[in-house]
Amino acid sequence: MIRTEKLSKHYGKVVALDAVDLEVPAGSVYGLIGPNGAGKTTLLGILAGLKTPTSGSVTLDVSPSEVAVLPDTPRFDPWLTAREVIDLARTIGANPSPAARVESLLSEAGLADATDRPVKGFSRGMLQRLGLAATIVNKPQLLLLDEPSSALDPIGRREVLDLVSRLRGEATVVFSSHILADVQEVCDTVGILRNGRLVYQGSVAHLLSDRITPRYLVRLRPPIEPTIEALGRSPWVVAVDQLGPDQLRIETASVADAESSLTAVLAQVEARVVSFGPEAVTLEDVVLEIVT
Amino acid sequence: MTLWRLEWLRLVRTKRLITLAFAYLFFGLLGPISARYMGEIVAQFGEGVTVSFPDPTPADGITQYVGNASQVGVLVGVVVAAGALCLDATPEIGTFFRTRVPAMARILLPRFSLTAAALVIASALGTLAAWYETEVLIGSVGAGQLWTGWLLGALYLVFVVAVVAITAARTSSVLATVLITLVILLALPILGILPNVARWLPSHLVGALDGIVRGSDVSEYTRAAAVTIGLTGSALFGAIRLSSRREL
Repeated sequence: MIRTEKLSKHYGKVVALDAVDLEVPAGSVYGLIGPNGAGKTTLLGILAGLKTPTSGSVTLDVSPSEVAVLPDTPRFDPWLTAREVIDLARTIGANPSPAARVESLLSEAGLADATDRPVKGFSRGMLQRLGLAATIVNKPQLLLLDEPSSALDPIGRREVLDLVSRLRGEATVVFSSHILADVQEVCDTVGILRNGRLVYQGSVAHLLSDRITPRYLVRLRPPIEPTIEALGRSPWVVAVDQLGPDQLRIETASVADAESSLTAVLAQVEARVVSFGPEAVTLEDVVLEIVT
Repeated sequence: MTLWRLEWLRLVRTKRLITLAFAYLFFGLLGPISARYMGEIVAQFGEGVTVSFPDPTPADGITQYVGNASQVGVLVGVVVAAGALCLDATPEIGTFFRTRVPAMARILLPRFSLTAAALVIASALGTLAAWYETEVLIGSVGAGQLWTGWLLGALYLVFVVAVVAITAARTSSVLATVLITLVILLALPILGILPNVARWLPSHLVGALDGIVRGSDVSEYTRAAAVTIGLTGSALFGAIRLSSRREL
């Protein structure tokens, strides 16, 4: 659906993108993540046709008229009403939807009570929702969303995430976000940018299962020192951290080692186990591990 | 909502149309009055000093109007045009249009056309007001001469909007566009200092209304008119090309 090859963008001596090979499967929701200045907005700008790459190529399987873009802080002529903004987006596009879609989108975006108000009085969250409605009004095949949920309250954020999830299969969505929990929730593929380079690209599930060091949390009845000593003697244990009077975090060399031997060691020292399980791995943990 | 209606709403809702009309009407109404009553006005402020003026002619009323409107009116016009034509002054708004409308001409032409039309109509209203007051207060001005002069002045106003358009394609703020446009417009009369150049310059048309009602022949302005039309088209074409290549 979207493919870039050796895509680079230089601003003078500053390298914003460096040989990026992006592959976004058709119909997927692709999360673009990375620290500030990593090149996310530049990459979205090139995909949208708003910027010209210094070198490399971009292949889109959709016509430019089927691409819609939502900037991170959508703004509109302040004297237009919400209805006029969406209707303008509808009519100036290449394949306008029926006019009735404007009203339904205003309602979906939670702007039914503000349809005829000039947008100059809108909050940032309202502008974000209005921008998203204007972006999807003509049912584009490719949506490029730059931080679509960053300015929203929890309810608005939930609505946006649900909306993006519903688009899966109907359109291809590429969205950048600093809120990694959002990416983890709605994206099936992620790309991690660091200093203009794509340092990881693949499924979220694969990223979470393979990139992080296996760690387990164990809560025990005192005394816990015999357990710490026994674990310390085990060659497959990389580290044991005491998180509290009755809790340990055990890092092992591999998942297989932990699954085959960890419970045996606990049994050997007759530890009284209150709870035991793998430490929950979040996308944030993985991304921090990769980009730092 | 079409891009043409959008520009109409911009002119109406942001009071730009009224501002333009007011600027020209104000000077249209004021010019003949000041020409007619200049002696009395000066006498009010000159304590004990008597200043004699010759009786005003109808052309004096138009001269007063042209002198004031050609400066303030054009300045207001440049500001209004820059507000409409600086598409990328707010990048998010630029993104809204650029990602939906692939041809820059479709975006820029309504902005150029309606702004230029508003400026030309405002100048017509001002000219109409100046004509009426001159007729009432001073004397008759030939309609043919008046509107031929106005038409030549209108060509200059359209040229001004085209200069704004090409300047806006290279700058990223309304203020920069206004300032650079004014520098360009002010440089033209300076170029006219060169021998035989003035009659070829668009700025020569600024005084066409005044000149023709004072008896100048239209042929005095035909070269400037032809150059102005050519430069307007070129500037507009250049604005579209430059905007199309521009990165956000």
